[in-house]
Amino acid sequence: MASTLPALAIPGQRLGPVTSYSAGPGTHVQQSNVYASIAGPVVVEPAQPGSKGKATLSVSRSIRAPGTGNASKPVTTAPGAKPAATSATPKPKVKYNTLPAVDSVVLARVTRVQKRQATVSILVVLDESGSTQGVNPSQTTSDNDNIEAILSSAANPENHSSSDELRFQALIRKEDVRAVEKDRVVMDEMFRVGDIVRGTVISLGDQSFYYLTTARNDLGVVMARSEAGNMMFPVSWKEMRDSVTGQAEMRKVARPF
Amino acid sequence: MTDRRRINGPPSGTRPAVFASSLNSASDIATGRPQRQRQPNELRKIFLKTGLIPSASGSAYLEYEPSASLAAARSSPKSLIPPSSALKLACTVHGPKPLPRSATFSPNLVLTTHIKYAPFAARKRKGHIRDASERDLGVHLETALRGVIVAERWPKSGLDITITILEAEDDRWWGDAPDSHDAPWGMMNVLAGCITAASAAISDARIDCLDLIAGGVAAIVADESEDGEAKPKLMLDTDPAEHKAILSACVVAYMPSRDEITEIWLKGDSSKALLGPDDKRSGHEALLDGAVDAARGAHSVLAEAVRESAERFAGLAPGGGATQ
Repeated sequence: MASTLPALAIPGQRLGPVTSYSAGPGTHVQQSNVYASIAGPVVVEPAQPGSKGKATLSVSRSIRAPGTGNASKPVTTAPGAKPAATSATPKPKVKYNTLPAVDSVVLARVTRVQKRQATVSILVVLDESGSTQGVNPSQTTSDNDNIEAILSSAANPENHSSSDELRFQALIRKEDVRAVEKDRVVMDEMFRVGDIVRGTVISLGDQSFYYLTTARNDLGVVMARSEAGNMMFPVSWKEMRDSVTGQAEMRKVARPF
Repeated sequence: MTDRRRINGPPSGTRPAVFASSLNSASDIATGRPQRQRQPNELRKIFLKTGLIPSASGSAYLEYEPSASLAAARSSPKSLIPPSSALKLACTVHGPKPLPRSATFSPNLVLTTHIKYAPFAARKRKGHIRDASERDLGVHLETALRGVIVAERWPKSGLDITITILEAEDDRWWGDAPDSHDAPWGMMNVLAGCITAASAAISDARIDCLDLIAGGVAAIVADESEDGEAKPKLMLDTDPAEHKAILSACVVAYMPSRDEITEIWLKGDSSKALLGPDDKRSGHEALLDGAVDAARGAHSVLAEAVRESAERFAGLAPGGGATQ
């Protein structure tokens, strides 16, 4: 294939003809040519062998883009650890602008629990790859800089209202909480204000709310504090226990890994 | 209505101080006025750097090279007043972020632009509340950017673009010479700078764009030559302080790779331009072409700054300023 692809593209830069490439994320098509629409490393995804498709050109929004031709991609990092390749210069924090889309897995904080629904504010849109293997904070994509800090400050009631206006809001309706016995769901026994919930987006919703579901074993409350204010650990799919007092509370618990 | 929140001035009113003119003679006026040292088609250097404001999702800082007269005035100061000013502005992009709760559903990105002069930006002090000219500039900028952003890729979200002008271009030379023109020509240079900086900041925020959009200014200038005759000529990237009479000026927002214009602002009488003998273009065509040429020049700086932003993003190189 054409070897003239630049390693790094800027918006408006011509990348290749549509006869040999199809346009992926971060690109657009203009007059039978694929053009970059964001600045970043160019990624070529070869077509599936056997199928008659074309290679997909995209411009990466993520720093962990594989196969960009730039040998500067530390892919695996432990949570909290700095990538070794960037020890020389202080690495600027990478910002993403990924909106929640249908089927994306998000972490959200419960802000309000009502009889028929729970209101949550979306903290993080998890990476596609991260959604299958769990929550690895260093692999998530969001414009939030420090996911650990966001999550650990979650149950603190002081910093709820201030930043929620800047986050995308979502609803978990009563019938979307779990897959079985939907009509017996009592929202108060599923979520409490301040819980961190993992859910998937089922709809972009109306002007103000996305719609989330937790009707899967791996979805539900991942972090919660008890009434005494201590962190709780999950003991079953519907119960979490205070690590200090041993008090049990009801939640729709996500399967731990 | 009285203002109870601030300490007010005396109710009886005060007289503004009247200062003696620092220009005493006609020779002062002749020597004090800055002169254009550049060729008619030569642009000022541009400094453009992205990512300077960490709390914003994208940001850019733009600065024009001060005119040669400023450097001369610094080395041998005749007056405390600098002869001309050069544009300096900072642009921040916040978003995409959720729309306010009162907003209706939008399948597209909702763009809002704010341009604000710092109170000290111009020779005439600006208030803290945006005035009509600032709102006007904001609308022009929004038109320019709306054509370049791929809005349908960001449903249900808003993008706020805020530009603070730290030093504005002069509208005219500060001296009260009788032959000074008096129209807000400086605003057009400010708009061109705003467009270029906003494009860099949007790219820095990684919002999908069709192209990098650059602003450029051209003007038809009737300066007296040696024989005292005013010959209207086309000049690119005019500094209004350097010219006695700007007949008309034009600013465009231009996408070089698509050869498209998203915003035109043409002001004044463009019919009097004296172009070359074999130049069949009308005055405003020549103006537009000139502004597009200026935008192409700005685009080369813009592309370099955005490439730098992408490199910094990809962790390839430490950041630095881009200059033309």
